[in-house]
Amino acid sequence: MADPANIPTFKLVLVGDGGTGKTTFVKRHLTGEFEKKYIATLGVEVHPLQFSTNFGTLLFNVWDTAGQEKFGGLRDGYYIQGQCGIIMFDVTSRITYKNVPNWHRDLERVCEHIPIVLCGNKVDVKERKIKTGAVTFHRKKNLQYFEISAKSNYNFEKPFLWLARKLVGNPNLEFIASPALAPPEVNLSDEQKREMEAALAAAAPLPDDDEDL
Amino acid sequence: MTTPQDIANQFVQFYYNTFDTNRAALGSLYRESSSLTWEGRTFSATNNIVEHFTSLPFEKVAHQVTTLDAQAASPASLIVMVTGALAIDGAPPMQYSQCFHLLQDGGSFYVFNDLFRLNLSG
Repeated sequence: MADPANIPTFKLVLVGDGGTGKTTFVKRHLTGEFEKKYIATLGVEVHPLQFSTNFGTLLFNVWDTAGQEKFGGLRDGYYIQGQCGIIMFDVTSRITYKNVPNWHRDLERVCEHIPIVLCGNKVDVKERKIKTGAVTFHRKKNLQYFEISAKSNYNFEKPFLWLARKLVGNPNLEFIASPALAPPEVNLSDEQKREMEAALAAAAPLPDDDEDL
Repeated sequence: MTTPQDIANQFVQFYYNTFDTNRAALGSLYRESSSLTWEGRTFSATNNIVEHFTSLPFEKVAHQVTTLDAQAASPASLIVMVTGALAIDGAPPMQYSQCFHLLQDGGSFYVFNDLFRLNLSG
């Protein structure tokens, strides 16, 4: 195992409305959950999520709140020195998607030009309120969009892989081992996954030449 | 003799007990003239204050008082300052402070001013 002091480490700021599944998502990574540290003065739990790549080991220090956003917003201290971000919404709750631009504005205001992934969580739920094609915010703002299901581990690694490629600056970066994840609490059928991926492909704009994912 | 501290103790215990079990019932502690400043946003009158409390997007909440100070104020009122910790929905606890100005009305007190902040650095 690499010396922890030499592992490239990135602060990842996790934002989105309360109840969208941010904590559930970050807790899936078992070693991160085991080694998490609570910073009481900030009201933040930091989960160190380690990934093995063909360029060596990477560490995302994922910042997750103890719920301060449910009191009326996040303080700047939460965002400061963030190097990448995930904005999460819940595909079964319209208001959480409506608030995505606000989260994006706050993140950009403090962090400026960091790579950001938009995640639509809870795609395992049948009664979706926000269909794949209705998610357009990321196109205007040059974010990457992934549909995930934290409870089933579906696409868990995708946001981290995309961010790792951006941060390292190499689109050929790959994960060479899967992190240990908590066992799925719900299962997505292959049929469901195919349908979602087809919907994503159909909703995507025309492919451009500099394919950077 | 009942001291300001005694009254404040009773009030604070009742207030957080109600907050943690049935936020809608907090309305009985406020009046039309009451104001709440919550994380920098101000709400006036009972219905607006209660609406704010009931719309807070957490299910479980538990307060633990660390310190409580009280002084008699004029006319017939109490200033109460609380520091403590609260935890919501199974997350780790956050520090907070809250200040109440309680006005006497007959034999009881109601909340005239209420100011709440999470104590987070940064």
